[in-house]
Amino acid sequence: MKCYHCGCDLTEKDYCPNCGTDVSLYKKLMSLSNLYYNEGLEKAGVRNLTGAVESLHQSLKLNKSNIEARNLLGLVYYEMGEVVAALSEWVISKNLDAENNIADDYMNELRNNPTRLDTMNQTMKKYNVALKYCHQESLDLAVIQLKKVLSMNPNFIRAHQLLALLYLNSGNYPKAERELQKCAKIDTGNTLTQRYLMEAQHMQIPGEDEAKHISEIPSSKEVVQYRSGNETIIQPVHSMQPKGAVSMLSIGIGAVLGIAIACFLILPARIQAINSSNKDRITAISEESDSKSAQLTEYEQQIADLTREKKTLQSQIDSYQGTDSTVDSMNALMAATSTYLTGGASDIQTIAGYLEHVNPTKMGASATAEFTELYNSLIKLVGPRLASMYYRTGYSAYRDKDYDTAITDLTAAYQYDSTNGDALFYLANCYYEKGNTDQAKKIYDQVINDFPGTRKASNSEAKIAEINNAAN
Amino acid sequence: MINFEEELKKFHPSLEIEDAEEMIYNQDLDDMADVLVRLLKDAGTGESDRHQTVRPDSRTPRN
Repeated sequence: MKCYHCGCDLTEKDYCPNCGTDVSLYKKLMSLSNLYYNEGLEKAGVRNLTGAVESLHQSLKLNKSNIEARNLLGLVYYEMGEVVAALSEWVISKNLDAENNIADDYMNELRNNPTRLDTMNQTMKKYNVALKYCHQESLDLAVIQLKKVLSMNPNFIRAHQLLALLYLNSGNYPKAERELQKCAKIDTGNTLTQRYLMEAQHMQIPGEDEAKHISEIPSSKEVVQYRSGNETIIQPVHSMQPKGAVSMLSIGIGAVLGIAIACFLILPARIQAINSSNKDRITAISEESDSKSAQLTEYEQQIADLTREKKTLQSQIDSYQGTDSTVDSMNALMAATSTYLTGGASDIQTIAGYLEHVNPTKMGASATAEFTELYNSLIKLVGPRLASMYYRTGYSAYRDKDYDTAITDLTAAYQYDSTNGDALFYLANCYYEKGNTDQAKKIYDQVINDFPGTRKASNSEAKIAEINNAAN
Repeated sequence: MINFEEELKKFHPSLEIEDAEEMIYNQDLDDMADVLVRLLKDAGTGESDRHQTVRPDSRTPRN
């Protein structure tokens, strides 16, 4: 021990042998500090770490330079899992006494194992996260986090205590007790651990209320009460048989449970199977539909080809038909000419019959120049006679009011003899009588134009006026 | 019966290694020995001052 005034080594006297300063109080403080250190050492020896921390803190309050006390405090902190606090104490210790300080060895040991130091730091961080979860009421997450912390730093007292508190809160008293037992093994003097432990143990034994409740059960003839070890067993004399309503209720609950199981377990599987089979069927139908569509398209193409072919053939047929009519007309003309030349000129009706099949205007371009010339020559020879024959029959039909026959014959009469105004006039009359006034007016106009100044023309004008008046 | 909320308030965040330097610097290292030495020094200074103020009177010649 050195004099606080001059730094000289002190003796057993109460004053400094060098400067004479009274050091009695100073020496008492130093010895008190040592006393607390010894107390702390003893407590640490029996793993009363909390008590050791308190004593060593007292020692250091009296003498901050008590290096042994400070180093021991760091060691106790380290044992409690408080690495940062331990390091702090050792750093201060090293600063107060740089030579021959065991704190240097402790720190070197940590420095030489950076993984261990990092792991310790991680445990601190995770512990802080767990505490945060607790404040956010995410207790399950906090429990998981604390378990991780304790797997990395099994001596971390505060983590054990917090985990035990969470277990107590969730009513998991056996787990809480286990954690607290571990905690108590590390630090025997922690009052918080002891309090939680008492709570956990207290909650696991049957409470007084429960015991009271048991004692309050009347010992009637319906129950038999006996003790088996520490347990009081209350057994009914008669076994309870379910009554009617209870039976029905049980059946109902069973049915509901059965339906629920069917709904939640069986039905989904069935629905899935049906859906699967439906999907397969839809796929098959879809494939079939695709093939049918392809066939349909093919058939449509065939129909289009056939239609085109049919049109081509139809046009060919039409061309052949035209040829046939031309041939017929030629044959008819030849027959008519032959009848006329072979002396049948008097047989005008036969010639007329043949010439009915000859129509050069319908033949169009297919009629050759020779055919037309022959036709015109024959008409020039037999035309007047044909005209008079058709006029007679037509007029006779007109008189008989057979207007259809009259129209045909009178038309032919005017065709073979365009100077026959009477034929044209009676033809107009036929149309008029039939009610075809438009055609009648047209022919009456032709009569007026082609045969002006005649009686037929004036009669035609009268007829047109009559038609117009009737229309108005 | 333990009140969870109240008990939770007793738990504080743990210091991380990054915070160790700040903790060391902010630690109040004054001990009782420092206080005693200061008191004794103050007391010694006061006494010497009183001696210095008394000395002129002591030098006055006795009759």
